[in-house]
Amino acid sequence: MKLRKAASFAIALTVVTGLLAGCSKGNSANGAVKEEKGETPAAEQAAKDVKLTFFNTSAEVNTVFEELFKKYHEQNPQVTIELIPTPIGGAQLEKFQSLLASGNPATIVNLDAGTILQYKDDFLDLEPEKAKYEALTNPGAIDGALLDGQFLGIPWTAQGYGLLYNKRAVEEGIGGAFDPASVKTRDDLEAVFKKIEASGKAPVMLHGADWSLGAHYLGLTYSLQSQKVEDNRKFVEELKNGQVKLTENPQFTGLMDTFDLLKKYNARKSDPLVADYNRDSADFAKGAAAFYFMGDWSWAVIGTLEGRDTDFGILPLPVSNNPEDFGNTQVAYSEPKLFAIDDSKSTPEQQEAAKAFIEWMVSSEDGQKAIISDMGLSMPYKDLKAKSTNIMSNAVSEYVKQGKIINIGVINYLPQDYWAKTGAAMQKYLVGNIDRQGLAQEVQDYWKSYAGK
Amino acid sequence: MNKKLSLKNAGTFLVFGGPSIFAFAAVVIIPFIVGLYLTFTNWDVRTGDSSLIGFTNYLEVFRDKVFLQQLWFTLKYVFFTVVIANVFAFFIALALTRGGRGEQWLRTGFFTPNLVGGIVLGYLWQTLFSQVLPYLGAKYGWELFQTSWLTNTGTAFWALIIATAWQLVGYLMIIYIAGFTGVPNDVLEAANIDGAGRTSVIRRIILPLTVPAIVICIFISLSRSFLTYDINLALTKGGPFNSTELATYHIVQKAFLSNQYGVGQAEAVVLFAVVAIIALTQSYLLKKLEVES
Repeated sequence: MKLRKAASFAIALTVVTGLLAGCSKGNSANGAVKEEKGETPAAEQAAKDVKLTFFNTSAEVNTVFEELFKKYHEQNPQVTIELIPTPIGGAQLEKFQSLLASGNPATIVNLDAGTILQYKDDFLDLEPEKAKYEALTNPGAIDGALLDGQFLGIPWTAQGYGLLYNKRAVEEGIGGAFDPASVKTRDDLEAVFKKIEASGKAPVMLHGADWSLGAHYLGLTYSLQSQKVEDNRKFVEELKNGQVKLTENPQFTGLMDTFDLLKKYNARKSDPLVADYNRDSADFAKGAAAFYFMGDWSWAVIGTLEGRDTDFGILPLPVSNNPEDFGNTQVAYSEPKLFAIDDSKSTPEQQEAAKAFIEWMVSSEDGQKAIISDMGLSMPYKDLKAKSTNIMSNAVSEYVKQGKIINIGVINYLPQDYWAKTGAAMQKYLVGNIDRQGLAQEVQDYWKSYAGK
Repeated sequence: MNKKLSLKNAGTFLVFGGPSIFAFAAVVIIPFIVGLYLTFTNWDVRTGDSSLIGFTNYLEVFRDKVFLQQLWFTLKYVFFTVVIANVFAFFIALALTRGGRGEQWLRTGFFTPNLVGGIVLGYLWQTLFSQVLPYLGAKYGWELFQTSWLTNTGTAFWALIIATAWQLVGYLMIIYIAGFTGVPNDVLEAANIDGAGRTSVIRRIILPLTVPAIVICIFISLSRSFLTYDINLALTKGGPFNSTELATYHIVQKAFLSNQYGVGQAEAVVLFAVVAIIALTQSYLLKKLEVES
């Protein structure tokens, strides 16, 4: 009897200590890795298997990433990378946060710059890598990716937006050759719209989704204040403190005057909030509308479409009748997604492997081909080893080369719900539920709710 | 001896009931208690900070006018969904227990939507409302369907109800069918011989005798429609301009998009209380109507 008691006690003890050991496993493993460093020969360490996870918010290109991981694994058999996919347009942040909160974050993340900024304490500072990437990328690309002056994420894609145009549709509408440089002011644009409408075509496609209206359209208000992101941030602070009256702000009123124009000539006039992205893009690509307020990312839909037109370009959105005003000759441009490396739970070994993998992704021929050809994105890198078939991003690149861009970096510092909340106000304005005054009031109220935060 | 027996009973209970209790505690009770605790803190994933702040979050809930509006919107939505789903389910079940041909197939058919996930179902109806119906509306000149139902506050509300009710009907139908088979045949035969018409048979015999099924069905449809999230997300995304956000949708947005976890969680607790009060009151009141045959 005594023996049995002792035996069961021993078993219980083993179980408990086992559990405790399990709890502290993460820490001890971490320590062990740190101790090993420097003592183990490099070859032996390289032979060790490393498993990385990759959290992806560019859901539309999940499969391309998976192919890349396979290729990298073939070349570096010791590194396995697993994709953590997210659904297109939903629950991405929720998933990221729950992974983080459960102490199980991904090693590498592909996130919006603004999100990385919010969780900056959890990401690895990439300062030691900065010089290397400055040599690899276009001038200004790394500066544009800095968050509060820190290099936390590696830019890999660039996007621009404005008024896309379908060359055939525009030329048929105005009955002659179209020179994009001829549109310098709002009145110029209206003249073109009038001609197109007279020819029986819809002049412009205005996508009614909150992200397009809230982030891309209304969001220009903040970026148009100045060429400097710092000044734009100050403007947003003033909005929060209630020091700004939007109706007296020339950028806001100019932008909304142009919005009224787009609203008047909108192809979706009868049901403006339908907001079917695929349908809007397809109709534009097939010439049902001559212009489209959207960005070069729509190529992902347009590029593979059957029976589409072939010649497209981009115009800056005119915001006033003075051709000299900032914004009338510039297109909005940003590096929306960054690769960052987790620093809360990942081992140094994993971090090193992650750095090497990211570098391979953005600089090797395989990686660049996948990003440029398969994903149809443009990269802010020098000496690209693949040629882009995305006519629109090539058009944006022309503006980038001439320095004619609006730096929309201020959005990285805005609260995450700004596009949903102010986008809803824009939707109300679009269907005539509120007037200009009401719109300004709703947007100001939104910012005031963030006063002091 | 007695003590030994009760010990043995407890052991047997643990063997069979233990795993379920463990699972229930792990996925329902413990998260609920932790969630309740979180409402009293200012927890934030970004900073990892979580200090106790008392009832501040709950005060915030009642200051969140949008949430109160959406709670009211949810109540309206739940009311119509429950009524419509139950009425349809009741009459479909009635029609499918008369022993006609192809009944089994029809039952399967009506039940199928319940097997489709809410997200898929939402996208399905979204295509119907935003593309198929407007297309037909334009072709045949039906005024009602000229524009998408989902871009207008009023019609989007009904679109939500139709989609939810469509999913619920099959499930409730099964429960009603089970309820009807419990109605003794001799009572029905007696009514027939007495010359009772179809409507009075339903009103005076079937309805009172299926009260338990009705209680269950209303309970299920209440709680399920109060907690609708997936259909809301897939069908309207809360639009146009956030006017069709149900309470659950608002809570998720509050917590994860606006980064106010504490307030969002407190709103979830308030919602839980509302659902619990309404569901328990209805089952208490309706249970009084139960009769023995």
